[in-house]
Amino acid sequence: MVKMYGVTRVYAGGVQALRGVNLSIDKGEFVFVVGPSGAGKSTLLAMIYRGTVPTRGQVWVAGRNIARLRWHEVPLLRRRIGIVFQDFKLLPDRSVYDNVAFALEVIEVSRRDIAKRVPMALDMVGLAHKAQAMPDELAGGEQQRVAIARAIVNDPFIVIADEPTGNLDPDTSMDIMNLLCDINMRGTTVIMATHNQLVVDRLRRRVVQLDEGAVVRDELRGGYCGEA
Amino acid sequence: MSEMSCEVDTAVKLRTMAMLGGQALRSLRKTPALTSIMVVMACMVAVSVFAVFAVNLTAIGRQLQSQVQIRVFLDQNAAVPDKEALGLSIKALPGVTKVEYVSKDEALSRLRLQMGDSGFFLVDLEHNPLPDSFDVSLAHAEDARAVAGEVWKLKGISDVIYGQKWVDNLVGALRVLWGITGAVACLALVGASLIVSNTIRLSVFARRKEIEIMKLVGATDGFILLPFVMEGLVIGIAGSFAATALVAAGYVGLVTWVKSVASFIPIIGDPIHMRLAVIGTVAFGAAAGLAGSAISVRRYLKV
Repeated sequence: MVKMYGVTRVYAGGVQALRGVNLSIDKGEFVFVVGPSGAGKSTLLAMIYRGTVPTRGQVWVAGRNIARLRWHEVPLLRRRIGIVFQDFKLLPDRSVYDNVAFALEVIEVSRRDIAKRVPMALDMVGLAHKAQAMPDELAGGEQQRVAIARAIVNDPFIVIADEPTGNLDPDTSMDIMNLLCDINMRGTTVIMATHNQLVVDRLRRRVVQLDEGAVVRDELRGGYCGEA
Repeated sequence: MSEMSCEVDTAVKLRTMAMLGGQALRSLRKTPALTSIMVVMACMVAVSVFAVFAVNLTAIGRQLQSQVQIRVFLDQNAAVPDKEALGLSIKALPGVTKVEYVSKDEALSRLRLQMGDSGFFLVDLEHNPLPDSFDVSLAHAEDARAVAGEVWKLKGISDVIYGQKWVDNLVGALRVLWGITGAVACLALVGASLIVSNTIRLSVFARRKEIEIMKLVGATDGFILLPFVMEGLVIGIAGSFAATALVAAGYVGLVTWVKSVASFIPIIGDPIHMRLAVIGTVAFGAAAGLAGSAISVRRYLKV
């Protein structure tokens, strides 16, 4: 599903965000990417949706080398990947329904399909009753649910979540984690960068730990800090 | 990656176009588009006015050049024994194709005809002040100076006039005028493009969040770009259309006025020229709009 071979990413100015990362993530896995700020977590995730390309090494997603994708193929890749961010990235002037529908409108899905798929996604995240609410009328956890609904509405094979619980309290964080676990249970690969020790320790999934751009631990059913 | 592409039917395409058009219109309301339309209009008015001026003077110049003639006035005091012989002598000069005798009465009636309504002052003349003359046609306009020199040598001539010199001046002036028109057009194109580009930049900035999400969920570059390109095009067309309306209204007024008070000035007033001018100006404005959006889309919308 996702394979990285010796991936190094050097940003302008010489900052090395990733150093020789080797990683293989199979279909249906749930992977936490942990590490201190600046360890390269977001860069690692961005490699998968081609938010950036490796300076050296290769990244393969769904059997394609992402650096070799032609410009018109990048949007097609992204249509199969759901992305969730810490700051939700909702459009404040659109309702919950319209925010989710937006993801389908801009890839030219028919109106009939949109009317069918948006309620299903909202139902999945438990917000069917708030479809007409505006984002600023929702609590933080609810806003993140809208963002997750938008990420899954196009039935992606991977969901990438970059610190999705970063702005949420512990209880709300666990709700969001349960939701991501439900999505994973349906066969979708979930790759999540986080600082949230509580959720990592409680869920005991695969943990990939980065430090200064290098993978220092890759542990099945790991905790936030590792066995040591 | 081909399995990832989704089937898009015509209805969806139409809806997409409507949606993108809607986005462009919403953008026009949000950003200072009206200001840029006004600036584009001002640029296009400047170009149009210069172009109208240049086109008309060129037409006049062409007409005058084709009519270069030498007019030989006969001395009214000295008795010219044989006008016919004089006419034949002129005809014999090299480069002369035709010599026509114009009596003073004929000259007056011609003048009346030429002046039309403006020639009212010619009606009450007590005596005809015009001299008898010969109209001498030439094979080549540039021979005028040489032929005029030869004619002066004949007896019984009071004056020889030919338009070549000022036609030459006019041609030079036209060249300068066209140069200025070209420069103004270039400046206008640059100015209009820059103002449109600035508007689009603001528009991109206002919608940066939407654009970011569009990119992340897999909207194509074309889908993201099109509303901005359309916005630039609309500003360019609207501005130049307003300019055309303004200049055309002014010009029609001018044509009417010129025809009533100075009908001898050959001002261009036919609808085909006008239509061409309107299409040209609007196309020019559209080009400026497109260029402007292209600049901003390339610089600020890295898709």
